[in-house]
Amino acid sequence: MSYIAEILPPLLQGAVVSVELFIITLVLALPLGLPFAFGEMSRFRPVRWICKIFVFVFRGTPLMLQLFFFYFFFPLVLNIDIPAFPAAILTFVLNYAAYFAEIYRGGILSIDQGQYEAAHSLGLSRAQTTFGIIVPQAMRVVLPPVSNEAITLVKDTALASVISMSEMMRVSEGIVNRDYNLTAYVVAAAIYLLFTFLLTLVLNHIEARFSTYTRREN
Amino acid sequence: MSAILEMKNINKYFGDFHALKDIDFSVEEGETVAIIGPSGSGKSTLLRCINCLTRISSGSISLNGTTFVDTPSGGEAKYIPDKALKQVISETGMVFQHFNLFPHMTVLDNVTYAPIKVKKVPKDKAVARAEELLNLVGMLDHKDQYPQMISGGQKQRVAIARGLAMDPTIMLFDEPTSALDPEITGEVLSVMKNLAEQRVTMIVVTHEMGFAREVADRVVFMNQGELTESGTSEQIFTNPQSKRLQDFLSSMIRA
Ligand SMILES: Nc1ncnc2c1ncn2[C@@H]1O[C@H](COP(=O)(O)OP(=O)(O)OP(=O)(O)O)[C@@H](O)[C@H]1O
Ligand SMILES: [Mg+2]
Repeated sequence: MSYIAEILPPLLQGAVVSVELFIITLVLALPLGLPFAFGEMSRFRPVRWICKIFVFVFRGTPLMLQLFFFYFFFPLVLNIDIPAFPAAILTFVLNYAAYFAEIYRGGILSIDQGQYEAAHSLGLSRAQTTFGIIVPQAMRVVLPPVSNEAITLVKDTALASVISMSEMMRVSEGIVNRDYNLTAYVVAAAIYLLFTFLLTLVLNHIEARFSTYTRREN
Repeated sequence: MSAILEMKNINKYFGDFHALKDIDFSVEEGETVAIIGPSGSGKSTLLRCINCLTRISSGSISLNGTTFVDTPSGGEAKYIPDKALKQVISETGMVFQHFNLFPHMTVLDNVTYAPIKVKKVPKDKAVARAEELLNLVGMLDHKDQYPQMISGGQKQRVAIARGLAMDPTIMLFDEPTSALDPEITGEVLSVMKNLAEQRVTMIVVTHEMGFAREVADRVVFMNQGELTESGTSEQIFTNPQSKRLQDFLSSMIRA
C-alpha cells in the first residue's frame, strides 16, 4: 500500500500529460476532420485527391510509424527541432482527423437526398443547407463512431511513450524497470480504465441529449 | 389573366433518354392544374424543372415575369446566374411525396427556418406567420413537436405550411398523398382543396383522380414524355380525346 502511495504521484503526473494529449488532440482533430470530409467530396479534382490521399496515408500506416516520422525524420529533413509533445500532438491530430474525416463523410452521405431537395426548393444557399440542415443531422449519425474513436484515443496516447514523451505509460515503464515490480502497470491500467469509464459516461450523456429526435423520417 | 408560369418547347434528356418532349405548358395566376399520367411519363420531371431540381436540356421557362432559362436557337439551355436563380426558386414552394421535413427541427422551426434565413424575415414575424399557416393546416397544436412524433398526414400538412411560408407565387405538389395510408389522404387533400379555393396557384401531380376532377381547374395528361392532352377537368374526364388517355382513365378506375 505504501508502495502504491509512493509511485502514485509520478504516475498521476504522467496521467496529466496523457489527458492533455487526449484533450488537445480531440479539440483540434474533431473540427479538422470536417474540411477533409468535404474535401473528399469536393467537385474539384485536385482538392478531392489531396484529401483522399491524406486520409489514405494516415489511416493506412501505423500510428507508431507516424510518430517516428514526425519526431525523428521530419525534424531531420527540415533541420528544425520538434520536442516530443508537439510532435505527438501533430501526429495524433492528423491521424485522428483522417479517421474523423471518414466518419463524417459516411454521416453526410447517409443523409437522404430529399433533405437537399427540400432545402433547394426553399431557396437555401449551399452553406445554409450544409450547416443548417445536413451537418446537424449527420452529427447524430456520427456520434457513436466518433465516441468509439475517442475511447480508442485514450489508449492510443500510450503510444506517445515511443518518442520518449513522459505520459503515463512511459512513467509506469520507468518505475517498473527501476523497481523490478509490476505494480505500476496495474495502477496505470486502473487509471486508464477510470478514464475510459468517465469518458463513456460523458459520451452517453451527449448521445442522450442528441437523441431528442430519431434519425430518419418515413 | 396572365400566365404566371410559362414553359415553352421544353426538352429534357437523361443521357440518351428523352424524358420530356417539346412540352408547352403554362399556368395562370390562381389556377389549380393537375398533372396525371402513367408512371414514368415525366410528370415529376416536368414539375422539378419548374424549381430547377432538374435542369432542362432546351426550351424556356418564365416564372412571374422572369425568364430564368432560355435557349438560343440551336444551342443549349442557358440559365440566369445562380444568385438570381435562387431568388426565382425561392418563389416556388414544393411538397414532396416523402414530406422531407427537417427531422432535427420542431414543426415550428421547419416552417420558420427558410423565411428567416433566406428572406431575412425578423424572427417574431416569421413565427407569427408560421403559426397562422400551421393553424390553416390544422397543425398549430403540434408546433413544438419533432417530425418523427407526428403521423404521415400531419407531416405532409406541415410540409405544405413550410412551402407556403415563403409566400410562393406557385405551389408544386409531387404526389403529396402517395406515401400515405388511404384513410388519411383525405386530411391532406382537404387542405389542398382549401388552398385551391383561396386561389393559391398550384400544380399537383397526382394519382387521385377524384381530387383532380373535383378541385383542378385544368388537367393535363402526360404520356411517354409528351403532354398529350390538356383541358378542363370536365373535358378530360368526361370526354377524353386520345386513346391513351381513355385507356389510362379506365385503368385508374379499375385500380
Ligand atoms: N435523374 C434521372 N436520371 C435518369 N433517368 C431519370 C431521372 N429522373 C427520371 N428519369 C426517367 O425519366 C422518366 C420520367 O420520370 P418521372 O419521375 O418524371 O416520371 P413520373 O411521371 O413522375 O412517374 P411516377 O408516376 O412513377 O412518379 C422515367 O423513365 C425515369 O426513369
Ligand atoms: Mg413522379
